[in-house]
Amino acid sequence: MFAKTITKTVFGLALSVATLAATQASADATLDRIKGRGKLTVGVILSGAPFGSIDPKTQEQKGYNIDIAKALAADLGVELETVTVTPPNRVQFLQQGKVDILIANMQYTEERAKVLDYVPTPYDRAGGAAVVRKDSGLKDWADLKGKPVCISQGSNYAQPLAEEYGAIVKGLPSQPESLLALQGGNCVAAVHVGATVGLLLLDRADEWKDYAIPFPTELIPSDSVIWLRKGEADTQKALDESVKKLHASGKMLELAKENRLLNTKYLEEENKKLSAK
Amino acid sequence: MQDMNLTGLFIDLMGRLGLNYEFLATGYEAQIWRDGFITTLYLVAVTIPVSLIVGLIFAACLTSGRLWLSAPVRGFVELTRNTPTLVQLMFSFLVLNTVVSNMLGGAQNNPLSPFFWVVAVVGLHVAALHAEAIRGGIEAVPSSMIEAARGMGFSQFEILRYVQIPLAFRASLPAIVNGLISLVKSTTVGNAIAVSEITYASIMVWTQRDNVVELMIVLLAFFSLINFVVARVGSWVERRLAIPGYGL
Repeated sequence: MFAKTITKTVFGLALSVATLAATQASADATLDRIKGRGKLTVGVILSGAPFGSIDPKTQEQKGYNIDIAKALAADLGVELETVTVTPPNRVQFLQQGKVDILIANMQYTEERAKVLDYVPTPYDRAGGAAVVRKDSGLKDWADLKGKPVCISQGSNYAQPLAEEYGAIVKGLPSQPESLLALQGGNCVAAVHVGATVGLLLLDRADEWKDYAIPFPTELIPSDSVIWLRKGEADTQKALDESVKKLHASGKMLELAKENRLLNTKYLEEENKKLSAK
Repeated sequence: MQDMNLTGLFIDLMGRLGLNYEFLATGYEAQIWRDGFITTLYLVAVTIPVSLIVGLIFAACLTSGRLWLSAPVRGFVELTRNTPTLVQLMFSFLVLNTVVSNMLGGAQNNPLSPFFWVVAVVGLHVAALHAEAIRGGIEAVPSSMIEAARGMGFSQFEILRYVQIPLAFRASLPAIVNGLISLVKSTTVGNAIAVSEITYASIMVWTQRDNVVELMIVLLAFFSLINFVVARVGSWVERRLAIPGYGL
């Protein structure tokens, strides 16, 4: 009986000491930890070119997000490890420490900034583009009122489409299903990140010859930023400097062009602004 | 106004526990989430009778002894039992539905909604499971009892209606209730084709707000509650129908 109590106490003490140590370590030595491990673990999304995809020939991951991750790891002087995430699980991966940072097509929103920290300098600015049938007669976002519009679950276009333009939003698991639903006539438009669908229409022109991206503006263009756990200020600072360096040296723009991002206006501006300093 | 205050109070209380339910105070997200509960309940309420009626018809066909009735049903039961519901649903919605649209000359003439496809796919899938359970029950009815019924001048259909099914139903009731519980859980596949049931609504919210834990708690509690009710009703029916001394 006595032995049991002792064991319990010792075990409880050990547990609380361990917890205490863990909280202290994560208080703010994250950058040291990354450097100590010699490895930066980045959560990436492989939802299609140009941001992230798998090369069918070499089976290697490629894309703008992957290249940025590589450049950041090189700048920190550590190795890169990528972990594939999806919109529904990416924040859990970050919060549970399975990844250090997310470069996962996540735009800045106020709600996200409440639970996570982010690198203040964005690496891209992306908005939504609507793919519609050429004979649909749809000319602008307002024409979508009362019509079914497909998006992928996890994109931040649902709210503006529903609230601002009155569209009936249908969220499918990911972009391929959404586009298939568009081709099947289940929605009149599919709204996805402009660069991705723009490239798709170019690369698979035959299959998509009846479709176009006719709207003159992009839906809620917003900053794509790198996300990290709340309170990791030193990592945040180091990454921000790295991102700024990439902008200033023109490397970011170069990566974007290599990966065929169609609209590099924002990156050019950023390059001019930061290299002038 | 009273309602607003209650929502605010709830959000505040949960916030103190470290749980983020702030989306309840917004327009669009709170709306689709609340509608999600209704849609799930509606989906369950429509799909359960569909599965039971079709399951009964399937079982009758399987045990009819007529090949032209049993063979197609046997084929269908094997196909639906042996393939994942999600795959069936994706196939139905993205392929069959498109074929139907093309035959009717365009999607605007196609009356079949994603909701219909979920009811059809999940309903028929569970019907196949019911059919097997009821078939087992029908075959368990002692042959002497059927002979007695035939001796009293019952037709084949009357034997099924008055002798076999009442006994088979009692024998297969536990298996049927199991099937219904899995049906309730299966309705969540609807999220794959944008039927706005509660998992879909939750995914739409948590991918924006990253409050997965908070919504998971509600999801688990909600489905536990529905299935608790289904199981209670099932055992109540079992008790009501029990034949004293017969062992069923």
